Amino acid sequence: MIRLLRSVSVRLALGYAAIFILSSFLLVGALWWRTAAYLDREVDAVIVADAQAVGDRLHDFGLIGALQTVRDRAAAESDEHAIYLLADPGLHALAGNLSAWPVQIGGGPGWYEIGLARNGRLHATRIIYAALPGGYRLLVGRDVQDRVAIRRTILGGLAWAVGIAILLAIAGGMLIRRGVLRQVEAINRTTAAIVRGDLARRLPTHDSTDEFDQLSQTINGMLAQIQVLIEGVRNASNTVAHDLRTPLTELRNRLEELLRRRPPIEEAWSEVQGSVGDLDRVIGVFNALLRLADIDSGARLSGFREVRLDSVAAEVAELYGPVAEAKGSDLAYAAPADAVTVQGDPDLLAQAISNLVDNAVKFSPAGGKVVLDVRQTADGAAEVRVTDRGPGIADAEKTEVVRRFYRGDAGKGKSGVGLGLSVVAAVAKLHGGRLEFADGDPGLIATLILPAPSASGALPKPA
Amino acid sequence: MKVLVVEDNERVAQFIAKGLREAGHAVDQAGTGRDGLFLAASEKYDVIVMDRMLPGGIDGLSIVETLRTTGNKTPILILSALAEVDDRIRGLRAGGDDYLTKPFAFGELAARLDALARRSQGTDRNAALEVGDLKMDLLAHRVTRGGTPIALKPREFALLEFMMRHAGQVVTRTMLLEHVWEYHFDPQTNVVDVHISKLRQKIDAGFAPALLHTVRGVGYRLGAE
Repeated sequence: MIRLLRSVSVRLALGYAAIFILSSFLLVGALWWRTAAYLDREVDAVIVADAQAVGDRLHDFGLIGALQTVRDRAAAESDEHAIYLLADPGLHALAGNLSAWPVQIGGGPGWYEIGLARNGRLHATRIIYAALPGGYRLLVGRDVQDRVAIRRTILGGLAWAVGIAILLAIAGGMLIRRGVLRQVEAINRTTAAIVRGDLARRLPTHDSTDEFDQLSQTINGMLAQIQVLIEGVRNASNTVAHDLRTPLTELRNRLEELLRRRPPIEEAWSEVQGSVGDLDRVIGVFNALLRLADIDSGARLSGFREVRLDSVAAEVAELYGPVAEAKGSDLAYAAPADAVTVQGDPDLLAQAISNLVDNAVKFSPAGGKVVLDVRQTADGAAEVRVTDRGPGIADAEKTEVVRRFYRGDAGKGKSGVGLGLSVVAAVAKLHGGRLEFADGDPGLIATLILPAPSASGALPKPA
Repeated sequence: MKVLVVEDNERVAQFIAKGLREAGHAVDQAGTGRDGLFLAASEKYDVIVMDRMLPGGIDGLSIVETLRTTGNKTPILILSALAEVDDRIRGLRAGGDDYLTKPFAFGELAARLDALARRSQGTDRNAALEVGDLKMDLLAHRVTRGGTPIALKPREFALLEFMMRHAGQVVTRTMLLEHVWEYHFDPQTNVVDVHISKLRQKIDAGFAPALLHTVRGVGYRLGAE
């Protein structure tokens, strides 16, 4: 029983039934008050008025007047249910339509509800007993036998109504419970299927504003997001496996051949040295991935502060100047007239800019010019632009290059693990900005766009 | 120098200890946090290598914290498999002096330990540095070799200053990036090599003997011999 009560649907159904029954009792009560009780009140009012009238006559015209009034009223055919009796202090009947003082009425004046024999049958009557001046006693009443019958009818009807209401309440409660259960079970079944691995399953929705439907829609949205994330993880682990497999294969081959061939010791040392290099590549991929995970997690947001973007860029230009020079190309930094400030992580911004410059220098032909510039746009956003004279990126590849481990045709055979632009894109996203590529005719214009610091000083939310 | 290695992985500990002993250092080893704390507190070391995650209830960071609160100022290098920036900051905040992530190259570890031990000897505050006939006047911001003035850009000056402060020691590319450029990421290209060769052009070309040496697979060393 307690377990049953723990079920939301059972509690809902019971609550519904209770409220339904309670409200039907209230309704029946109101009906009773307006019908049977109303009749009672009417009769009482008439009796009191009659008694008042007799009392008034006694006061105005003495005993004769009162006797006359009682006699007249008792004789009147108009109201066969009326009961009158005027008695002297010794309780002897003086006038009225009762032959003798009823034995049931003793005690003091007040209301009495007694059975009297009338027309040979026992009738229910309602009588007021009033003591008049001079020791006279007056009984005024009404035969309410009819009213008792009416009351019984009304009561019977109301009892039926209550009975039907209770039945309806129980049936309604059960219907509600069934309805709730059906929808909850639909959610249960679907989520159970998802737990078993069928991620494509979705809850049925009907495009309504019903709360269950909205819940289903929310759950479906969540499932879609989870599916996207899982796809992402799956893709990432596939590419990770691929990109780690290559250096690991080389390493394994190298060591196995060393064992098999047993070359002279000097050659063996150089092979071992090469193996360490292979391992370093594996470690490099790992570190880059961890760095990306760190950026993606948003943990770095806590270290955000005001950063002079132009200074960061100037330092990167200074870091890469000699590299470009050694390649026979030229790296120029075009400083903005005013300071450009953003909210961000200086180390990450430096890494992002240095990756862009690194790529530009790497892909520039000998003698090609690379330009790094920082500017503030009209809407307050900050832009870091790296322009090179290299082969550029085909339109079809522009969205691909930020994918993890993606390496365009131009990048084949170049150093690096294929995560450079992924890091730039992740850093941009963390700062609420984005990375864009445009054709430089020839060459590439890579632009890192960072949003203006909000007026409140709040950090931009990562997209 | 005398080194304490607190590391629970037997093979990693042996690898470090053997390498350091071959380099002529005295090495003590501890495999648990309790032993490590006991040795660190009772013996005098020039530098301590502390693994972050240790068995036996006491982890590396709490040992570092305990040592620092008891006034022990021995330089500590924290060794960890946790590479995220937060972990690094936590390690340094606990009182570590340097942080190295596993897996690491022995050369990197040895170079960092040398630098830590040297730093604690307090040779840092000199106004003038000298290596052979190469002289650096930090107040006048001037460098001469054999009396001939050498013009250096600000970053080249900072690079040379760091090399001269660690004269005779091997410094790695990562150490240079961290201390001269204050970058905590790996640039995709070996930018440090390019800067070093430019510096070498300025301080070694036309002079003998060569002062700036490349240590294969590890880094660079500035020294007359």
